[in-house]
Amino acid sequence: MLRKTFVGLLALAVGAFASAQTVSVEFWHTFGDPKRGGWIQAKAEAFNKANPNVKVTPVFKGSYPEILQAATLAARQGKPPALVQMYEVGSQFALDSGIFQPVGGIGTLDTSDYIKPVLNYYTIGGRVNSIPFNSSSPVLYYNRDLMKKAGLDPAKPPTTYGEINQACAKIASANLGVKCVGFNLHSWFFEQWMAQQGALLANNGNGRKSRATEVLLTSDAAKKIVSWIKDINDKGYYTYTGKLEDWDGSDAIFTGGKVVFHITSTADIVNIADAAKQTGFDMGVGLLPIADGVKRNGVVIGGASLWISKGISSAEAAAARDFALFMTNTANMAEWHKLTGYYPVRNSSVEALRKEGWLNEKAPQLVAFNQLLQTEPNEATAGALIGPFQQVRRIVEEAIQKVLGGASVDAALGEAKTRADAALKEYNASVK
Amino acid sequence: MNAVFKNRWLAILLLLPTLVVLGLFLYYPALETLRLSLYRANFIFQTEAFVGLEQFRTLLGDPAYYQSLIQTVIFCGLVVGLGLAFGLGLAVLVGEPIAGAGVYRALLLYPYALSPAIAGTLWLFMFNPEVGVVNNLLCELFQAAPRWLDNPFYAFGLVVAASVWKNLGYNLAFYVAALQNVPKELLEAAALDGANPWQRFRHVTLPLLSPITFFLVFVNLAYAIFDTFSLVDILTKGGPVLGQTGVTTFLIYRVYLDGFENFQTGLAAAQAVLMLAMVGGLTALQFRLGRRVNYGG
Repeated sequence: MLRKTFVGLLALAVGAFASAQTVSVEFWHTFGDPKRGGWIQAKAEAFNKANPNVKVTPVFKGSYPEILQAATLAARQGKPPALVQMYEVGSQFALDSGIFQPVGGIGTLDTSDYIKPVLNYYTIGGRVNSIPFNSSSPVLYYNRDLMKKAGLDPAKPPTTYGEINQACAKIASANLGVKCVGFNLHSWFFEQWMAQQGALLANNGNGRKSRATEVLLTSDAAKKIVSWIKDINDKGYYTYTGKLEDWDGSDAIFTGGKVVFHITSTADIVNIADAAKQTGFDMGVGLLPIADGVKRNGVVIGGASLWISKGISSAEAAAARDFALFMTNTANMAEWHKLTGYYPVRNSSVEALRKEGWLNEKAPQLVAFNQLLQTEPNEATAGALIGPFQQVRRIVEEAIQKVLGGASVDAALGEAKTRADAALKEYNASVK
Repeated sequence: MNAVFKNRWLAILLLLPTLVVLGLFLYYPALETLRLSLYRANFIFQTEAFVGLEQFRTLLGDPAYYQSLIQTVIFCGLVVGLGLAFGLGLAVLVGEPIAGAGVYRALLLYPYALSPAIAGTLWLFMFNPEVGVVNNLLCELFQAAPRWLDNPFYAFGLVVAASVWKNLGYNLAFYVAALQNVPKELLEAAALDGANPWQRFRHVTLPLLSPITFFLVFVNLAYAIFDTFSLVDILTKGGPVLGQTGVTTFLIYRVYLDGFENFQTGLAAAQAVLMLAMVGGLTALQFRLGRRVNYGG
C-alpha cells in the first residue's frame, strides 16, 4: 500500500516536472463546425509535434461576444487563455478591456507580408495589436442560369445600385417566380457601402485619431444606401427572412434558387458553391455592387484576428505568438483559403495560389481578391473603431427595418443617430 | 404533529446544506444584482460608478421600456390563455375512447421534449419567406408569400404560436391526468338531471379542474416570462422593430441585450430588480388567490 502511494507520488512529481517544462497555450476560437474547427485542431497538433515543449489546446468557446466575456472572466481570475480569436468590430472593445497585450510588443514581428488593408484594420495608434487570421469581405453571388433565363449576360454581373435595378426590372418582367436580390439585414453591408463611398462611419477619423463620439448615420452616403434598400424593397425586388443578421436564412434563399443576386461574405464561397451544385445551378461571383457615381474605394476587412492575453509568462506569450504565426503562415493560409473562402492574409500566400493555378481567371475567388487588393488605404476603408459596435449595429439594422416597414429614410436615420450617439456616450463614460 | 427538534443546533446543521446552496446561488446573486442596479457598471471593464437611482429613472422614463412591458403582458396573456385552452381542449379530445389515443397523446406531447433551440430553428426554416414550407404551400394555394418575420403583427403571432406549441405537451399531460380524476358518478348524476355534454363540461368538469388550472396558470406565466427567451432569440432576435423597440423584445430579452450584448451590467441589473418586483407581485397574488381555490378537500 505504502509502496503504491510512493510510486503514485513519484509519478505525480515527474508529471509536475514535465509540465513545468512544457509551455501550455490555450487558444479560444469561434469555429464550432467540424470543417473549420477540425482544421484548427489539426494545425495545433502539427505545431505541438514540431515543438515538443509547447502544448497548444484549441477550445471552441461560442460566439465572439461570448468569447470576450469568458476571456475577461478568466483574466480576472488570473487564468487568461493565452490566445483569443476576436472579431474585427470587437477591436476597440478588446483594447479597452485591458486584458490583452499588443502582439507587436512581443519580440519583433515582421508584418511586411500582410495584405495592406488587413493590416491597416488591426493597426491602432501605430501599433499592431493582433495577428490577422480569418478575413473576409462581402461580394455579389449570382445565379447564372436565372440570369440567362431573364435575358441578362452572366459575364456582366451588375456592379452598381443602378445596374442592379436595371437587371431587376428585366428579371421582374421575365416572370420567373423568383426575387431579384437578397441579403440578410446586417449592418456589416451598410458599413461596407459607407467605406466604398469613402465615407466615415464615426467621427475623429473613424475613431482612429481619437475616441469616436459621434456615429455619422445622417450623412449623404448613409442616406444613399438606405434609400436604395428602400427602393428595391418597395419595387418588390428585395427579399430577406425578416430576422436580423440571418445569414443562414439568406443563404438558403439563394442556394434554393429563389433569388438571382445574393450578397454575402467571401467566407462562404465554398459552402455556397457546394450547395448551388447540389441544387443544380451555375454560380458566379462578382464585385460588391456600390452606389452610383462614386469612385470605388474598396472594402473594409471583416473577420477576426488573434489577440494575446496580458498576465501570462513571456514564454507563454511567445509560444502563443509562434502558434498564431504558424497557423497563418504562407502554406497554411493558402490551405485555409481553399477550405473556406476566407482570404489568405499574406501576399506570399496569394502568390503561391497564383503559381499553383488555383487563382486563375475562372476562380470565383479572384474577384474577391481583386476587390481587396485594389482597396484604397484610407481612414474610411481602415474601418471604424467604435466601442459599443455591437449595439450600434443593432441600431442601424433596426433603422433599416423601420424604413422597410414604411418609415422615411431621414426620420429613421436621424433617430438612429441619436440612439447610437447616446450609446457611444454611455460607453465612453464607462471606460474609465 | 409536535415532533420538534430538541437540539436547535441539530436543526441548523441539517438545514445547512440547503442554506449554503441557496445562499451561494440565489441570495448572494440577488443581493449583488440589487447592489449593481445602483451602479453604472460594465462587466468587461470592471468599472463601477455609483449613480443611485439614476438607472431606474432612465428605465422608467424610457418609452421603449414601457413598450417592452406592455408587449410582455400581452404575450403572457396570449401564451397562458391559448396554452391552457388548447391544452384542455386537446386533453378532452384525446381522452375520448378512440383507437390509437395513446399514439395521439405521444405525438402531442413531443414538442415539449424538443430543446427550444431546435424548436426555434424548425420554425425559422418553416417560415422562411422564399424557401420555407409554409410559404410554398401558401404560394401554391393563394399566391401569397408574406415575410413572416419582418411584419410586426405576423412575427408577434408567430412567437406566440411557437411558444404555445412548445409548451402544449406540458399542459396536455396535466389536464389528461386531471380529467381522469373527475368522478364519473358526478357526470352521470348531471346527465340524469338532464345536463347536455356542454353543460356537464362547463358546470361539473371545469370547476373540478380549477386546482390544476390554477397551478398551470402560474407555471405557464413563469414559462412565458422567462423560458421563452431562447425561442425569441433564435426566431426573431427581439425584432422586428415597431415604434420604440422590437415587437418581441420582451422584458427578459431586454435584460439579455443590455447585459450581455451591450455589456451595461448595471442597467441590466436595474431591469432585473424591476422584474423581480413584478414577479414578486405575481407570487403574492398566487398565494392570495390560492386560498380561494377549491381543492375538493
